[in-house]
Amino acid sequence: MPESVIQVERVFRNYGSFRAVDGVSFEVHRGEVFAMLGPNGSGKTTTMRMILDLLKPDSGTIAVFGGPLVDAARDRIGYLPEERGLYRNVQVIEMMIYLGTLKGLSRRDAQQRSQRLLERLEMGDQSKKKISELSKGMQQKIQFAVTVLHDPDLIIVDEPFSGLDPVNSLVLKDLLTEFKSRGGTIVMSTHQMTQVEEMADRLFMIHRGQQKLYGTVDAIRKQYAQHAIIVEGRGDWAALPGVVSVETRENGRSSAVLHLAEGVSSDSVLAAITSSGSIHIERFELAVPDLNDIFIRVVEENRL
Amino acid sequence: MSSFSRVGLVARREYLFNLRRRSFLFAVFGVPLFTFAMWFIIFAVMEDSENDLGKVEKVGVADASGLLDGQIVPLDAPVQFEFYADATHAQQALDDAAIGAYISLPAQYLRSGQVEIYSYGTVPAALEDAVRQLLLANLSQFAPLDMPFDRIQNPVVMSIYVNDTGRTLTEANIPALFFLPMIFALLFMMSSGVTSGFLMSGIVEEKTNRIIEVLVTSVSPLQLLTGKIIGLGLLGLTQLLIWGAAGMVLITVGQAVPFLNGIEFPLTLMLVFGVYFILSYFLLSTLMAGIGAISGSEQESRQYSTIISLLFIIPFFFIPNFIAEPNGTTAVVLTMIPFTAPMSILFRIGFGVVPPVQMVASLLLLFLTTFGVALASARVFKWAVLHYGRRPTLWQVFGVLRASRTAEGGEARL
Repeated sequence: MPESVIQVERVFRNYGSFRAVDGVSFEVHRGEVFAMLGPNGSGKTTTMRMILDLLKPDSGTIAVFGGPLVDAARDRIGYLPEERGLYRNVQVIEMMIYLGTLKGLSRRDAQQRSQRLLERLEMGDQSKKKISELSKGMQQKIQFAVTVLHDPDLIIVDEPFSGLDPVNSLVLKDLLTEFKSRGGTIVMSTHQMTQVEEMADRLFMIHRGQQKLYGTVDAIRKQYAQHAIIVEGRGDWAALPGVVSVETRENGRSSAVLHLAEGVSSDSVLAAITSSGSIHIERFELAVPDLNDIFIRVVEENRL
Repeated sequence: MSSFSRVGLVARREYLFNLRRRSFLFAVFGVPLFTFAMWFIIFAVMEDSENDLGKVEKVGVADASGLLDGQIVPLDAPVQFEFYADATHAQQALDDAAIGAYISLPAQYLRSGQVEIYSYGTVPAALEDAVRQLLLANLSQFAPLDMPFDRIQNPVVMSIYVNDTGRTLTEANIPALFFLPMIFALLFMMSSGVTSGFLMSGIVEEKTNRIIEVLVTSVSPLQLLTGKIIGLGLLGLTQLLIWGAAGMVLITVGQAVPFLNGIEFPLTLMLVFGVYFILSYFLLSTLMAGIGAISGSEQESRQYSTIISLLFIIPFFFIPNFIAEPNGTTAVVLTMIPFTAPMSILFRIGFGVVPPVQMVASLLLLFLTTFGVALASARVFKWAVLHYGRRPTLWQVFGVLRASRTAEGGEARL
């Protein structure tokens, strides 16, 4: 049984007559990357704020590190809010030291760690610059550095990749991976499904305040898998036994989706292809949708 | 880390950051320079007016002491002295506009040195000099042998009665009367205005650039607010200390300037100033913090803060009332209203004596209001810091004040 870092149970939260969070329950395990997905305004940020005790739930319970969020527990968390912000007319290093000491570091410790992190982010020479003199990407990196400066056990990062170019996205991804490899737990909200597929162990999707998906990334993709196979090659796909219909894709390659009859396994289709002799096969895979498709499907299904 | 040290960290940061601000340095060093310059101009103007007797050509004399029986008038006297049998006749002449002013020497003048000048309108300094010369000329001729040595040293202890207001001014307390309370009131306004302005703009900045969301995951909103208020309060005190030091220099230098000779810093005035300064600084800054938290932009918050600052300077508009009736209804009412109390009490201490009961009542009201405002502001602050982008309506703010839970937002932890 994995140790749980966050436990959210039957949590409700209203803003006036608007129900922002509608009875969600989930757990975040130690050392995992936990993705929180959902369209804009679905309740992700409200849920994160409740975990951080910035907002109180109307009902339900939230435990962090096994209990309510006391000051000592607070110091073990790093938070990167969706709406980024830093002091503008302050030196980079000065601001990092201030925010580090607020998290319980000594000034000296905060200074050393800040300098190390800045060097790691290839910004060692920017420490004396004012924040307002930095580019947006650099400010984003500083903001992330502040989130992990005090070496927390848990970081909650809201849209960490938004506004970053591909090079900086990679730097950030490396930092997140490194954080995880040291045993840190990451709760991450993002709209970039490829990042979720690459990094997340488990995910939670919320839509209109309600829990829609919850589980490991693999399990959820399989749950949404069609009874179909994607193939590329040449041959008469419709003639294969067990294939009900063929959907060809006009995407520059000769790929097709073979929808299978009930009870027909992908293995038996593969066996039929290899034994047929008239079919030349270049690609064969289960039609498991990517998270992007699943995301859109969930949203579409709940449109009304 | 204890919550005390978190508050300390915030206070330290606010103090050091704002200490280096250009606007603070300007306020600290620019204001004394500006004040010196103003004083310089005032001296220059006063020097001019001292030699000007204005409309006063004839001055009545009513002498009950017998010193002026010989009616010796210095040859170079700038005014014409008319002698009257008693003060009633002199007053009659003044009312008939036969004379511009009259002096009255009481029977015990030689002992007390008391001389009264009655006039409608202001008494020019040149007239006082003329009276002094008149008395010295007569003292040098007719002084009895047993005249107190005091009189030779200081022949005139002047009381001026300006009939328009019925107010008495005596030489010794003129600077303390007018200038000290005014200076203290101005210092208070500038110092608390500057620091609470920093507090408000700091909150608005943290809110608009969203760093508040990171801050409140490390410190509670109440710790943040407390730290800010303490840090900036210390900054205000630093400012006052620097100004105090500059004032000392001015007074030391001012020994050479006759006008400043009489200025002293009475302990009671300093004490009252200190207590009222601290309380009203808290009142002003907690209010500003609440406003900073609910307003959407720096510009907007400035409009509100101007209105609040105006509340504090209302007593300035009632200065004539304070002079005429330091214990009158207007003065007492303004002393009791927490916003106007600091200025009012300073004026009243300057112009008269405040009954202790009133001072205690005023302090109590100020304290209770400050406490109430601090609680309300903290509540609004912790609710509003995470509501950005849209400004809460007045109704929502009242809702937050009425209950700890609200329909619109939820409170963060205190």
